[in-house]
Amino acid sequence: MPACRSTSVYYNHIRSLEVIDITPIEYRLFRVTDKDSQTGIQDNVLLTEECPVQKVLIQDIKRGETILEARGITKRFPGVVANDQIDFKIRVGEIHAVLGENGAGKTTLMKILFGQYQPDEGEIFIGGEEVRFKSPLDAIDLGIGMVHQHRKLIPAHSVIENIILGHPHAGTILNLKRAEKEVLEICEKYGFSLDLNAKVWQLSEGEKQLVEIIKALYRGAEILILDEPSSALTPMETEKLLTSIKAMSRGDLAIVPFITHKLPIVLRISDRVTVLRKGKVVCCIDTSEATEQSLAKEMVGREVIFRIERTKVEKGETILQVDDLSAVSDKGVVALNGVSFSISEGEIFGVAGISGNGQRELVEALAGLRKPEGGSVWLDGEDITFADSLKRWQLGIGYVPADRIAMGSIADFSLVENVTMNYYFDHEYYRRGVLDTKKIRELTNDIIAEYDVVTPNADIVAKCLSGGNLQKLILARVLSRKPRLLIVDLPTQGLDVGATEFVRNKLIDAKKEGACVLLISEDLDEVLSLSDWVAPIYEGEFMGILPGEDAKRELVGAMMAGIHLDEESA
Amino acid sequence: MWEFFIRSLDASTIFTIAALGELIGQRSGILNVGIEGVMLFGATLGFITAKTTGSYLLGFLVGIAVGGLIGLLHGFFSITLGGDQVVSGMGIWILGFGLTTYIGSPYTGPLGMERIPTILGLSPFFFVAIALTIIIWFILSKTSLGLRIRSVGESPEVAEVSGISVAKTRYLCVVGGGMLMGFAGAIFSLDYNPVWSYNFLLGRGFIALALVFFSMWNPFILLGGSILFGTLWQLSLNPQFIPGLMSRYKWRTVPFAITLGALLLMSTKWFRTKWGAATPEALGQPYVKD
Repeated sequence: MPACRSTSVYYNHIRSLEVIDITPIEYRLFRVTDKDSQTGIQDNVLLTEECPVQKVLIQDIKRGETILEARGITKRFPGVVANDQIDFKIRVGEIHAVLGENGAGKTTLMKILFGQYQPDEGEIFIGGEEVRFKSPLDAIDLGIGMVHQHRKLIPAHSVIENIILGHPHAGTILNLKRAEKEVLEICEKYGFSLDLNAKVWQLSEGEKQLVEIIKALYRGAEILILDEPSSALTPMETEKLLTSIKAMSRGDLAIVPFITHKLPIVLRISDRVTVLRKGKVVCCIDTSEATEQSLAKEMVGREVIFRIERTKVEKGETILQVDDLSAVSDKGVVALNGVSFSISEGEIFGVAGISGNGQRELVEALAGLRKPEGGSVWLDGEDITFADSLKRWQLGIGYVPADRIAMGSIADFSLVENVTMNYYFDHEYYRRGVLDTKKIRELTNDIIAEYDVVTPNADIVAKCLSGGNLQKLILARVLSRKPRLLIVDLPTQGLDVGATEFVRNKLIDAKKEGACVLLISEDLDEVLSLSDWVAPIYEGEFMGILPGEDAKRELVGAMMAGIHLDEESA
Repeated sequence: MWEFFIRSLDASTIFTIAALGELIGQRSGILNVGIEGVMLFGATLGFITAKTTGSYLLGFLVGIAVGGLIGLLHGFFSITLGGDQVVSGMGIWILGFGLTTYIGSPYTGPLGMERIPTILGLSPFFFVAIALTIIIWFILSKTSLGLRIRSVGESPEVAEVSGISVAKTRYLCVVGGGMLMGFAGAIFSLDYNPVWSYNFLLGRGFIALALVFFSMWNPFILLGGSILFGTLWQLSLNPQFIPGLMSRYKWRTVPFAITLGALLLMSTKWFRTKWGAATPEALGQPYVKD
């Protein structure tokens, strides 16, 4: 088993400590049992001394052998068991995906492995030696690196300054030349390229992530945990990232488990996959034996239908009519360049495209958050080109913004208050200027029940909800207004399979009830499976508007990349 | 002419040293608007010590120590208690103004000691100020400690994840910065103008505060700026130097007007896209963990 049973002292050389007497905390007494003796009680270990921890060198462990093992990890939070008796093994040189829905306990498990949380029960072994992490620093010292979902970098500092920050060998007087040389060696080894003297704020999202990966490697990480690594990346950057991950796993040091809920990525890149559901490990299999269907089934606990049957609804009157609409971006550049389209009752109009091609400006111009530069917008025959946002809500536009945390909700407000945000202007819900909180509370409870929002009650603050539940709540409060036009911007971004399916079904329900839906999405499959009309957008222009049946994947993909429909058919 | 120039440089010495103290604190994310109060404390207690013991050295040491203590107090409010830094800083200014008037009034009048010798007519502290500028620039940009300080001021969360104690680093900076402010105050009352009278600083601390913003948190721009501000200040004391242009009160507003202009420039989109944000990102924000 372990290669490194060296002379240095592990703090687990005190293998167990037996509680003899529990009096106030200062007087706790422990009987120390030697490592080779019988194991005593493991709970409540109080380590009074700092014991040096030594890193297990991966070179000493052969490829394919277990380097990190977690046994019986349990972590409880008030009201939930986030991790329930989890057993988990990582082998040298493998890419190990941890798959699970939002709230399945992936992040908790990774935080335990990284020392950010202490488990209530269970042990962690590295190279066969038991370890305990009091803080992430202990984990880092033992060769575990973590790349968080949200960037942990200082934008105003240069790449190299970010990489060496907190590094024990940074020196009193910074030896940037040496650090640069060492970092470049790492880059060369795995084929990364990066300008070390650039400031981090100048980098793209993918490059920032690379900086974090390099930072972890430079710190000596041999086990690298990537949390939702592709969530903020463009498809091209994701490709690059996957190549980098492959390169690292080929190296003799890096082992890359990563957590995600994107099934295609898991299937493409990982060697093994552990699926978590409701805090438990439901399966751990070689990826070669898995299919998208089987993994989704394990993850959700039932069959998931990926192909949604396109429901044809009798076409009704035209609701939204947009003529030659233009808008400028925050930077003052023309971002939306004369788009025209119309949507009728019972239709979903899908705008497919890579972010930043004018979708945001289109949506904001329709929702009344951005003044159009030209063109006109008509809703049910009424000119609303310059109507303000509130007026549009009252006329029956419902808007679900892309950023559910910053724009869709107020994190420190309760669910009831968040629901109020779409109702405070409704005569039914206030009397003489005073809100009818009772009525809104009833409405919120109805929403929570109908949309299956997982929450203890309606009074907790919005930031306590997981992404999927928050999105359900936002969608529900908009849909409960029975909008004529529903604008949904990236409705399933960052959601797990179950929540995604739920949201998509709700969009179809809205359509059946006679609303029209404007769907903005980067996910081609989503647009193609849901939409009655597909409009690929590129640099602020529609490359054509295709009926849903004619929108073939390849065609739409090419149009998203800037090929006009006419050129394509010619 | 030469005389005027020397006086300007002497004035700028006080601005430089006090502003360097403020700069260190701000780079670590702690804003101390009570810099005038810290200087009043250092100046008054340094003055009293020197006058009663007859030792310049003791006077300066007391000035520095008192500055450090006031810095520690500000640190306690803003780091340990996580309170509002502006409120704490204003408190320190008002306290300094009131308390030094009370403590110092029996000592009103000249110091009555032999003047500190000059080098080429300049106060030796001018050279100290230049040395301090270089040392602080070096620490901030070339050492590991400096990187830690800047990181804590930009993003305490990131610093913490990287294994840096935010509280320790910030305490170090506010105490060190307070010592420099106290030192600057003592230079004023023992060397620049060794006469004690109530509220003798006349807002020099606020000029130093403005100077930090003007400098874009760069010690060398700070040094240049303080020479400029020192000259303008000197003009406000001797408006007859350029006769008929402006009254002393108008001259005195010029440093603030320049700072306002610089801040306006820094907040433009053009500046930010070209140079990035100059302000330490976490400036003035308490770092309290849940």
